[in-house]
Amino acid sequence: MSFNLFAAEEEALAKARALEKRLDALAPDCLAEFRALVAAFELSTREQQRLVRVSDRLQAQLSDANHELERRRDEAEAALDRLREAQEAIIQSEKLASLGALVAGVAHEINTPVGIAVSCASHLADATQAIRRRATDGELSKAEFARYLATAIDTSDLILGNCERAAQLIAGFKQVAVDRASAVRRSINLAAYIQDTLVSLQPKLRPSGHAVAVDCPPDLELDSYPGVLSQILSNLVMNALTHAFADGRAGDMAILVDCLDADTVRLCFTDNGRGMAEEHRTRVFEPFFTTRRGRGGSGLGLHIVHNLVVGVLMGSISVESAPDRGTSFTLLFPRRTPDHELPVQDLAI
Amino acid sequence: MDCLIIPATGRTPGVSFDFASGHLRMTGESYPDDVAGFFGPVFEALRGFLDCADGAAIRFDMELLYFNSSSAKALMNIFQMLETVAKGGRPVTLTWCIEENDDSMRELGEDFAEDLRYVVFRMREMPAGGVP
Repeated sequence: MSFNLFAAEEEALAKARALEKRLDALAPDCLAEFRALVAAFELSTREQQRLVRVSDRLQAQLSDANHELERRRDEAEAALDRLREAQEAIIQSEKLASLGALVAGVAHEINTPVGIAVSCASHLADATQAIRRRATDGELSKAEFARYLATAIDTSDLILGNCERAAQLIAGFKQVAVDRASAVRRSINLAAYIQDTLVSLQPKLRPSGHAVAVDCPPDLELDSYPGVLSQILSNLVMNALTHAFADGRAGDMAILVDCLDADTVRLCFTDNGRGMAEEHRTRVFEPFFTTRRGRGGSGLGLHIVHNLVVGVLMGSISVESAPDRGTSFTLLFPRRTPDHELPVQDLAI
Repeated sequence: MDCLIIPATGRTPGVSFDFASGHLRMTGESYPDDVAGFFGPVFEALRGFLDCADGAAIRFDMELLYFNSSSAKALMNIFQMLETVAKGGRPVTLTWCIEENDDSMRELGEDFAEDLRYVVFRMREMPAGGVP
């Protein structure tokens, strides 16, 4: 037995044909009209069958299109995931590179006092050897001993002063580096911390001759993530050196800090460099946006700044700029960072 | 009226009825929001054309690549109108255009031709995705 969707119509047609025979006998003058009616019903049935096929075809096409859509959506989502992973990896390597630059800065800065201390110590050792020989030979005069004493006092002062300077630098760097690497939350004096960070940037700042003026209330204490602050400041300074003062352009930077209220800190980082056009200004925080592609620009420096300000410090950042009018970044963030789950990828180095 | 030209939109087909030469064409895709609003004027113009019995040959090219059920019924109605004038002695050729390898559209065309006895029915393949 086979299933027939149009069994009822066929049954009706069979009855009509039977009726046609009876009409032929009983009322032959009605026959032509009756046959036309039956033909119209037959046509209508065939059209109905055709429409069912059209409809089925459309439904099948719709289903195919839906499957295709689903497949493409899956593909797009997978591609997006891969892109996010790649972006994350690049951001991590960018952070590592900035930590590497910090270490290089530390080495460079400490080199000077340690170098002075070493040459002073060497000079003192030579003078001591000489005076010892004179003493052994019994030829040491009072005047010679007095000169040696003066040398010993001078050099030991220099050695002590420079070693203290080195120790001080190491302490500052250690704190900055530990903060950078560990993202530990603690209380800091903002003014002092800004200074520590700027010292670590000296090797970048000194050759170009661009100074950073700081105006920060000396007693402003933060309960926050100092490593993040340090990274933000480094990136802003490096960004200014790369873009605002590109090609040896002269100018200065300034960090201006004030408190809008007891809980909100405003930090402005400004430069009087070459500024930027509006179409660049609106895009500076986008990942991979750079005007220096192929010339060392990764397009991530300010993106990382934005992520750190918004994601870790729970604050906001805005930028104002115009060509040849300098650039000003304004950060607003709570003096005491609210407790929240840290986005790990922003911190882990 | 010499011509009925309706440019195609996203949901309605392009109509190009050149009554002077007897060449009628429908192209594109057809799933109008307002079936009566779209096909009403088309049927009216076609009926007017078929009613004036000058007996000249008619060529109808059905080049729709996609149509919904309402449009399918409209097509069947048009084909019946053509069948009627063909039965009256006017030469009518209907060309059902399909994209290469679109077997289900080919089957539909054969199906639609089932009720055409006087209209000459032809099937024509077009390269997929590329008829202006």
